[in-house]
Amino acid sequence: MEQAVRNPLLPQPATIEKIIPETGDVNTFRVTLDNAEAMTRWRHEPGQLAMLSVFGVGEAMFSISSSPTQREYLEFSIKRMGKVTTALHGLEEGAKIGLRGPYGNYFPYEKMKGKDLLFIGGGIGLAPLRSLIDFVLADENRGDYGKVEIIYGARSYDDLCFKRQIFEEWPQKEGTAVYTTIDREEEQWDGHVGFVPAYVEEIAPAAGNKIALTCGPPIMIKFVLQAMEKLGFKDEQIYSTLELRMKCGIGKCGRCNIGSKFVCLDGPVFNLTEIKELPPEF
Amino acid sequence: MKQIVDRLRQEAARLLAAGDVAMVIGYAKGTDVARTTPYFATNEEEAQNLTWNPFCTNNLVKYLLDFRFEDTKLAVVVKGCDSKGINRLIYDRQFPRERVVVLGVPCGGLLDRSKVLATIDPGAELQSVEDLGQEFVVRTDHGEFTFAKEQYLLPKCAVCRNPNPVISDVLLGEELPVAEEEKSDTFDDIVEMEALDPAAKSAFWDRHFNRCLRCYACRNVCPACNCRECAFEQAVPGWQQEACWLSKKASVDNNYTFHLIRMFDVTGRCIDCGECERVCPVNIPLRKLYRKVIKDVQELFGDTTPGLNIGDGLPLTSYRKEDPEEFM
Amino acid sequence: MTVKLINKDRFNVFLERLASGNELVAPIEEDGNIFYRRVTSVNEITLEADAFCFAPKGHFFPQYEVLYKYQQGSNALVLEEPGPAGPSVLLGVKPCDARALLSLDPVFDGNYKDAYYLDKRVKTTIIGLSCRKVRYNCFCRAFGFGPTSGEGADLFLTEVKDGYLAEALTSKGEALLKDYSDLFTETGVDGALQEKEQLAVQLDTQFKRKVDLDGVKARLDNMFEHPYWERLARKCLTCGICTFVCPTCHCFDIIDENGGGSNCGSRLRCWDACMFTDFTLHTSGHNPRPGKKERVRNRFMHKLKYHLDRYRVTGCVGCGRCIEKCPVNMDIIQVIAEIKEVG
Repeated sequence: MEQAVRNPLLPQPATIEKIIPETGDVNTFRVTLDNAEAMTRWRHEPGQLAMLSVFGVGEAMFSISSSPTQREYLEFSIKRMGKVTTALHGLEEGAKIGLRGPYGNYFPYEKMKGKDLLFIGGGIGLAPLRSLIDFVLADENRGDYGKVEIIYGARSYDDLCFKRQIFEEWPQKEGTAVYTTIDREEEQWDGHVGFVPAYVEEIAPAAGNKIALTCGPPIMIKFVLQAMEKLGFKDEQIYSTLELRMKCGIGKCGRCNIGSKFVCLDGPVFNLTEIKELPPEF
Repeated sequence: MKQIVDRLRQEAARLLAAGDVAMVIGYAKGTDVARTTPYFATNEEEAQNLTWNPFCTNNLVKYLLDFRFEDTKLAVVVKGCDSKGINRLIYDRQFPRERVVVLGVPCGGLLDRSKVLATIDPGAELQSVEDLGQEFVVRTDHGEFTFAKEQYLLPKCAVCRNPNPVISDVLLGEELPVAEEEKSDTFDDIVEMEALDPAAKSAFWDRHFNRCLRCYACRNVCPACNCRECAFEQAVPGWQQEACWLSKKASVDNNYTFHLIRMFDVTGRCIDCGECERVCPVNIPLRKLYRKVIKDVQELFGDTTPGLNIGDGLPLTSYRKEDPEEFM
Repeated sequence: MTVKLINKDRFNVFLERLASGNELVAPIEEDGNIFYRRVTSVNEITLEADAFCFAPKGHFFPQYEVLYKYQQGSNALVLEEPGPAGPSVLLGVKPCDARALLSLDPVFDGNYKDAYYLDKRVKTTIIGLSCRKVRYNCFCRAFGFGPTSGEGADLFLTEVKDGYLAEALTSKGEALLKDYSDLFTETGVDGALQEKEQLAVQLDTQFKRKVDLDGVKARLDNMFEHPYWERLARKCLTCGICTFVCPTCHCFDIIDENGGGSNCGSRLRCWDACMFTDFTLHTSGHNPRPGKKERVRNRFMHKLKYHLDRYRVTGCVGCGRCIEKCPVNMDIIQVIAEIKEVG
């Protein structure tokens, strides 16, 4: 008898092509699907997720940190935290892993056309935003969006991810401004020192015709949102991503629910109006 | 039994009104005639919902652990069997003596719920229960029923050696007499199990463990299971990063591992309150496991019943020169 | 819809033939428990039981199952799915359990179709059976069906004086009646249908506990922060009994099991429970549902609101199993009544 349906829980074999160290505990893994045709067919949207497998250890969900305009490969910027991430960090270039996805919703970039964009990230939280930043800064899309401001902070200089992009590539693009900060003074650092929310208030970006996107540790998001409110941003102008423990990624295993919503299907991207409608259980 | 209920409510109300305790953990009416439910009275009014009858099976001592990191004082209702759990928690520094007021109830035995429900309509309203020594008289709005203890007690109660609480601050009734011959456990059930040949033993446990759902009710109800974080639940087990030493897969081999590890963990600490076996949704005879190690420990180290008093040196946590060492 | 009758002798022949031609799964007793298990001899089947019986959801969603095997060489990765399910017959399914499958279907179906569940679902013929007694904690009526409702079954049986009334409710049910047409008859069907109606009336009077869901969902919509949950949750042991006996609970974990060296093994899924501490625990140590209150609230919200919000079908079917098996008498009927009081 034939199997009744195709199996969405089955990963595709993939290869880690390149490992780019970002910080002491964050690597960006550049991954391609082993099936060349599948790689050509692959499409994802900025903000979407994918499940990575290290066989014998487990599976975990990560945001795809590369832009959909990058068609050659996918990138995942991953902090070494638990079982699967530790195993991933133990792999070498050329290692085989499993990949399934893409999952979840995405940043509504269509609705953002014609607007200025403000990205506010903390630590590894820049990873999901990076997918959209690179997407809007790509030549084919740049004309659709106004000014792009990026405010990004981390605990220390070493903890800043994507250094080449934040210090060189993005500031050199037209119509961009990149502000970086670290939590505490350091000898080699002559940039801004202080927490991200305070820096946001200091820079005081105008709410105007703008969409703000923020991602980082929960405590940072909490205070960033307070700062945004002071600056006059309305809830529907602010987007964030939520993160919960996931196993299946396809709305069956029941663990990433917040009220009636599943973060794997209905998220990870929510605007602040939507977040405020959710029960506070994330 | 009415006197005990009245005294319990009075005492609970007094403790709560005086602010001596923040909460009285006891029993309240359950949702069928042969059932009670754990109840947490926090004021005088709620104290009037407390009850006592031969359906008060739950060992409430376990709930103390929910409050172990707070500083409030609590009162808890205990039967003789449960009371040993209090001593155990105090000895293991899991709950300080000064934070608990023990409301002890001399217990004439608990009725087997399933046997009672074969006689009384579950929807009947329980009016009163009288303990006549050899039998209980249960009055309901569906009539009066007499249950001979010999026939209707829970198995663990039939061989009970501690009808009176071994620790209590307030004793809510007259101490019950304990016959001399009831004082030592003959472990008939275990002797019977030991007599089986290995293949029969293995077949017996294979069959029972095979249907374990790994719901962990036995662990969660157990007053001897007091780890803050269970080894079986660690997301990344400390000493083996990659291979979880107990897979979530509820196969018979994993289930053996779970139950046998738990058995060794509670050795010398299990007070034989029987809650594990009562709560098991698939009727695994768990007491047989734990009673086996109680018997072994007694044979190796002398007659030690965990929890009989606070200070007793437990065989597996204390050292004596004369301890057996044939395994060394 | 074809309706036929089968007498008791022929019914045994029917069972024999079902068991020989298919994988037959039916209620079987073991040490006082009744589970749906694969039948090796029809004598094992306990259809008459009024006793507590575990739900048959495990036939479609087993307590654990291999998703695929992996074998990892130095430059190749081979993933091997288990073979497709064979045809099977699930016999003696109670109305609440048949209905529960209709609550589970939208979870495993949808945009992402769960191949494992749906494969077995498609290939299984469900033979339902009217209850002959209402248990004390049964409250299926509150969900708009009853002990003689066949919804969710393919063929629906009702025990009558002369045997079993058999109603084909789907094309699979029709096919079954056709395949075994030599055993079924049309004679006496009218009388049997009348008997079934009488049974329904008689069973209706057996419901002891009154349950009215009217307004419960509306109250829950605004009850997330209510102090009730804290009070309710105190007695919960956060074990997994209620979720594992529930015919509509579907949470699972996915785990790897290495076997025969470090580079090959199986990826499995196994039942998990929202009552467990580590269910929602993040690697960082943050837990969105850290305590009893949050977990108990989530379970009742899921049963009475979330599932309904998401799939337009209830997450509870009133089977009463969780009430019966809960070690601390957490009772969803009482919870429903209390929600209406405090909400």
